[in-house]
Amino acid sequence: MSTETCLQTATELLATWTQESAEPEPGRVDVVIAPEDLIAAASALMDARWGYLTAITGLDLGPDDGRLEVLYHFACGAAIVTFRVRVPREDAKVPSLVSVIPSVSFFERELMEMFGVVCEGTPNTDKLFLPEDWPDGVYPLRKDFSMEQLDGQAGE
Amino acid sequence: MATEKFIIPIGPQHPALKEPGHFEFDVDGEVVTAASVRLGYVHRGIEKGAETRNFVQAEYLVERICGICSHVHATAFCLGVEKLAGVEAPPRAQAIRQIVAELERIHSHMLWIGVAAHEAGFDTLFMYSWRDRETVMNLLEGITGNRVNYSANVLGGVKCDIGPEQIDAILAGLEFLEERTRHYLDVVSNDALFLRRTRGIGVMTRDEAERLGVVGPTARASGVPRDIRIDAPYLLYKEFPVELIVEEAGDLEARFKVRVRELFESYRVIRALLANLPEGDLTTRIPRRIKPAETISRIEAPRGELFYFIKSNGTDMAERVKVRTPTLPNMASVVVTAVGHQLADMPMILAGIDPCFSCNDRMTVVRRNGERQSWTWEQLRQYGIEWYR
Repeated sequence: MSTETCLQTATELLATWTQESAEPEPGRVDVVIAPEDLIAAASALMDARWGYLTAITGLDLGPDDGRLEVLYHFACGAAIVTFRVRVPREDAKVPSLVSVIPSVSFFERELMEMFGVVCEGTPNTDKLFLPEDWPDGVYPLRKDFSMEQLDGQAGE
Repeated sequence: MATEKFIIPIGPQHPALKEPGHFEFDVDGEVVTAASVRLGYVHRGIEKGAETRNFVQAEYLVERICGICSHVHATAFCLGVEKLAGVEAPPRAQAIRQIVAELERIHSHMLWIGVAAHEAGFDTLFMYSWRDRETVMNLLEGITGNRVNYSANVLGGVKCDIGPEQIDAILAGLEFLEERTRHYLDVVSNDALFLRRTRGIGVMTRDEAERLGVVGPTARASGVPRDIRIDAPYLLYKEFPVELIVEEAGDLEARFKVRVRELFESYRVIRALLANLPEGDLTTRIPRRIKPAETISRIEAPRGELFYFIKSNGTDMAERVKVRTPTLPNMASVVVTAVGHQLADMPMILAGIDPCFSCNDRMTVVRRNGERQSWTWEQLRQYGIEWYR
C-alpha cells in the first residue's frame, strides 16, 4: 500500500469518531478524538490490521490553556496517523488501550508517571522509570514542574 | 498462597553487567509463570532537559542518551529539527551520516553477538567477536575522532569528511569484517552446542510480534517485514537501499541469524556509498529560532525503530522532545515470551532482544511456596549454563 492509500484508508476507518483532522506534514494525518471514543477508534485501526501503535506522546499545553494532549501515534509503513486526545489538566483521564493493544502497558505507565494522565483500566500502575519514593501528584514533564516540589522527598 | 517471605537483597549497585534494570520472575518449579519489569535506574530526565536548552545544545544532550547507538539519536534529532526549519543537509553530509550509521550498526551487532554468546557460556565466541569489533571501532575513530560518542552530526550537516585515505581504510576493514561475519553465520547456524541454547527457544510467532508491536531485528526474526530504512527511507536509503532481512522461525536462532545476515547488507551499502560519495558541502545554514510546528522523525537504529516527536515554539528551544527507543516495545515482549519457559533460558531470552544493553542488574526469583530470593545476573547466567551442561 502506498503512503497515500494508507492514510486514506485510515481516514475512512476513523471518520465516525473524527472531530477535526489536519495534515501537519507529508505522510501524516492528525485526528482529534474524544477520550470516550478512543477505544473504538483504536479498535477500528487494529481490526483492519492497519499498522501498529509506535508511541504515545504526552504534551502539556500549560496551566494557562488548562489542557493536556495525549498523542497516540500509529504507523503503517511511512504513514503516521496521530490521535490527539485532549483532557483537562485538573482531571486528566483516558481509557486504557490495553484491551485492544496488550503491549501498551509500558507506554501508559510512562504517560501516567510523567504527565499525571490516568489510564483507566490499565493493569499495572507501578512506576516504570521514576523512583519508588517519588512524591505523589508531582509530574516531571508537566510545564509547571519545579525541582522545589521534590525538596527532601525523592532520591535522598 | 503466599505464606512467609524472606528477601535476600543483592544490589542495586553491583557490577554484573553495564546497565541496571530489575526483573521479577514467578516460577513454578523450573517454569516461569509470570514476569514483570522495572526500569529507570539510569533515567536522567533528558526529555525535560531538552526543553530548557537550545537546539544546538539539545543535540549534544540526546546524543548521550545511549553510548552504543549515539549516532542514531543525533541523526533522528537533526533530521527532525532540519524538517522543522525547512532545510536539508547537503547530499555529501547525508551520505556520511548513513555511512556512520551503518558502521554503528556493525559495532552494535558485534557487541551483541559477544554478549549473547557470553550469556550462553560460549566465551570463545565472545572474545573473537569483541576482538573483531575493534576493527570497526577504529574505523569510527578514524572518521570522527571518537570511539563512542562520535559526534559526527551537526544541525544542518556533519562535522567530518571522508577522504581517500579513510576510504581505503574502511574498505580494508570491511573486507576483514565480512570474512569474520561469514564465520559467525556458520557458528550461529551450525554449532550444535550453541543451537541447544537458541533453537526453538523464546519463540514469538508473527501474529504475536505484530500484536506486541515489536520492532527491529526482534520483529524481523518473527517474519514481520518492518525496517524503517525500507518502509520510510531517510538520508540516502532510497538511492542506496538495504535489502530486507527476515527469518520466519521467531526463535533465538532466528534473532541471531537476522542480525548476522544484516551485517552483510551494511557492508554492501557502505561500499556503494563510498563508491558514489556525492561531492559538495558538508553543512548548510540553519536558523537559530524555529517557527512553531511539530514533526516526527523515525530512524532504524540497530535495535529497531527509534521515534522522535519534536515540537518547536518560535524560539531557539524545543517545546517538547519525545523519544521512544526501540528497547521499550521490545522489552514488553520479553514479559510475555518469558512465560512458560525454563528459568535457565531467561538470560538468553532477555539478551535476545538486545536490550540497550542487558538491562538487568539483579534478578528476583519468587518461589511458589512463598519463599522469595534475589539473584544476581551472574548467578542466573551461571544457572543457565549449568542447566544445559
